[in-house]
Amino acid sequence: MFKKLFLPSILLVLAYGFWVSANFKEIAAGVAIFLFGMMVLGEGFKAFSGGALERVLQASTSNLGKSTLFGFVTTALMQSSSLVSVLTISFLGAGLIQLVQGIGIIYGANIGTTTGAWLMAGFGLKVKISAYAMPMLVFGVILTFQKSKNLKGLGYILTGLGFLFLGIHYMKEGFEAFKNAIDLTQFAVGGFKGLLIFIGIGILATVVMQSSHATIILVITALSVGQITYENGLALTIGANIGTTITAVIGSLSSNVDGKRLAGAHFIFNITTAIIAIILIKPIMLIVGSIGDFLGIANDNYTLRLAVFDSFFKVMGVVIMVPFTGKLVKFLETYIKPANSVTTEDGVNISVEKNRYLNNSVLEMPQTAMRALIKETQHLYDNAFEIIVHGLNLKRSNILSSMPIEEVIKDNYTDEPIDIDTFYQKKIKSLYGEIIDFSTKAQSDMREDDIKLLYKVKLANRDIVEAVKDTKHLQKNLEVYLNDSNEYIKAEYEKIRKNLIELLRAISGILTMQEETGIVLSLSKIKLATKKNDIILNGGLDKLVRNDLITNEMATSLMNDSAYANDIAKHLISMAEIIAILSNDEVRILDDYVTEEGEDFDLLVNKGA
Amino acid sequence: MGIKKFVNDVTDVLGLKNFDEQKKKKAIKKLLKKLEKKREDVERQLANHPKDKVSKELADELELIHYQIKKGKKLLAKLEKDKK
Repeated sequence: MFKKLFLPSILLVLAYGFWVSANFKEIAAGVAIFLFGMMVLGEGFKAFSGGALERVLQASTSNLGKSTLFGFVTTALMQSSSLVSVLTISFLGAGLIQLVQGIGIIYGANIGTTTGAWLMAGFGLKVKISAYAMPMLVFGVILTFQKSKNLKGLGYILTGLGFLFLGIHYMKEGFEAFKNAIDLTQFAVGGFKGLLIFIGIGILATVVMQSSHATIILVITALSVGQITYENGLALTIGANIGTTITAVIGSLSSNVDGKRLAGAHFIFNITTAIIAIILIKPIMLIVGSIGDFLGIANDNYTLRLAVFDSFFKVMGVVIMVPFTGKLVKFLETYIKPANSVTTEDGVNISVEKNRYLNNSVLEMPQTAMRALIKETQHLYDNAFEIIVHGLNLKRSNILSSMPIEEVIKDNYTDEPIDIDTFYQKKIKSLYGEIIDFSTKAQSDMREDDIKLLYKVKLANRDIVEAVKDTKHLQKNLEVYLNDSNEYIKAEYEKIRKNLIELLRAISGILTMQEETGIVLSLSKIKLATKKNDIILNGGLDKLVRNDLITNEMATSLMNDSAYANDIAKHLISMAEIIAILSNDEVRILDDYVTEEGEDFDLLVNKGA
Repeated sequence: MGIKKFVNDVTDVLGLKNFDEQKKKKAIKKLLKKLEKKREDVERQLANHPKDKVSKELADELELIHYQIKKGKKLLAKLEKDKK
């Protein structure tokens, strides 16, 4: 209800404001242009994501201190903590950094946002900023028309900055004109009551504008023309910091567990800092005053003093929170867990495994989205691996060990066959759906080349699902004939199991291999083995039937099940090929060399026959 | 000279036109080099190994390496031919 009324109410209030005051219209237009500039700036930096930016992020976040510094520098450069947060979530999701480093980046990003206040208070108000905006917009727009991804990105950055400056110019002009018509300071409220009221206004303004940065710039502009008091300005700044966590929490509702944990950390950090600031507002103001005096800032230069407050307030928060970061991580990991329950078509409530790496916030960054998809495909394969292994009544740990195959097949997983359907519902169906949904959404922001790769990822996922379905078919007779009194049929089904063990071991190796020679040879080896193991092709079935060693019924089952085993192998090989190609740049260049076999391959197959 | 022609001439002179193919050729040459080294290693191991299950595996591996080398050389020759 509230959600439905929120937007129309805001629009009505704005429309009324525009009707009664032309100056208000100018200020609001300034804010709108500023926010649009932030969006365009973010778009520009996104063009560089997946490349240099991510490499730097990986290299500079090995511990809490480094990641805090990284968060500070990148936010200061990009002037957007939201973009840094999105990148952090994507890296958390991809498993490239741990939650503790992610929190470090958020600490740093929070301090980084204060550079905006300093720039605005120290530079933006003194210089005719619109003079810089115009050339930036012209150069920026020309560059956005270029084909080169980097030039286009640079164009967006310049255009974004141009709009930011233009927005600030309009806000300034609007407030200055406003000053002659109405004095907003008459609405100033002093004392603790005033503090709480203006914190509330700060929260509301930030929730509406979706940016604490914009609120603080607006506050500094209003403060510079004396439209608000210094004390109320401080309260608005605290409010903006609380407001930004609300937008982050709302934004994280649709994200995965990493996004939720990071938003949780952001929320706890900002709320704790805000509460401390409210309680200790008087001593903090005294300290800020002393710092201002030490820096030689005039007593009546409230805008720069507000920038000092903003920085002190945020640095104080980080200093207070750093010793508790370990506990914060533990708390978040304990209380924010992946949602894992759905109701099946039969109305039964079962827990299902959700995705680990897919996050809607990275959809606009093709490279990051692609990496998340590859990771998730590997996750789906891990689940499928478990189902296939248990479906063959084998133990996963034995397959992944160096235990001789003869011993692996003797060590059964259970006495009763597992229910593959339930496993499928729990570990494959929902996850597969999420992968397909994410890839479809990601496609809209991708270039033609990336879409081709995305198509391969979809194929790899389909291969995994098909392999699981084939295992279900194979399982039925496997259990029957492995306990049959006929030694020949029993031996054939044992052979199927042995061949699949070898295949699964080889694929596990390929998925972790880095060296292209190993990948090429291993893939070739399992392809060759799969062809040679085809019982119809190698004449094994004919021999058994001709010599009356198995019944006709057994022969039919063996023929079908051998085909299922062969299909499992083919699907898993195809999946391994795609993952190897997509995860390894060296192998990616050799794409068709890896996937296509020459005519001599059949000679190799027939040689051993 | 028009800008388009100038850009074309420069990319031609710098050999940037078939950049992807150049990259692929380079990657195949690198792979062939590694495969040749692997072949030598396996041949050496095979020569010093008594005939058993392991030597059979080594012989199979050698066969695959030979096959991959042949496949790589064929593809390289095809890329060279396409260039001409």
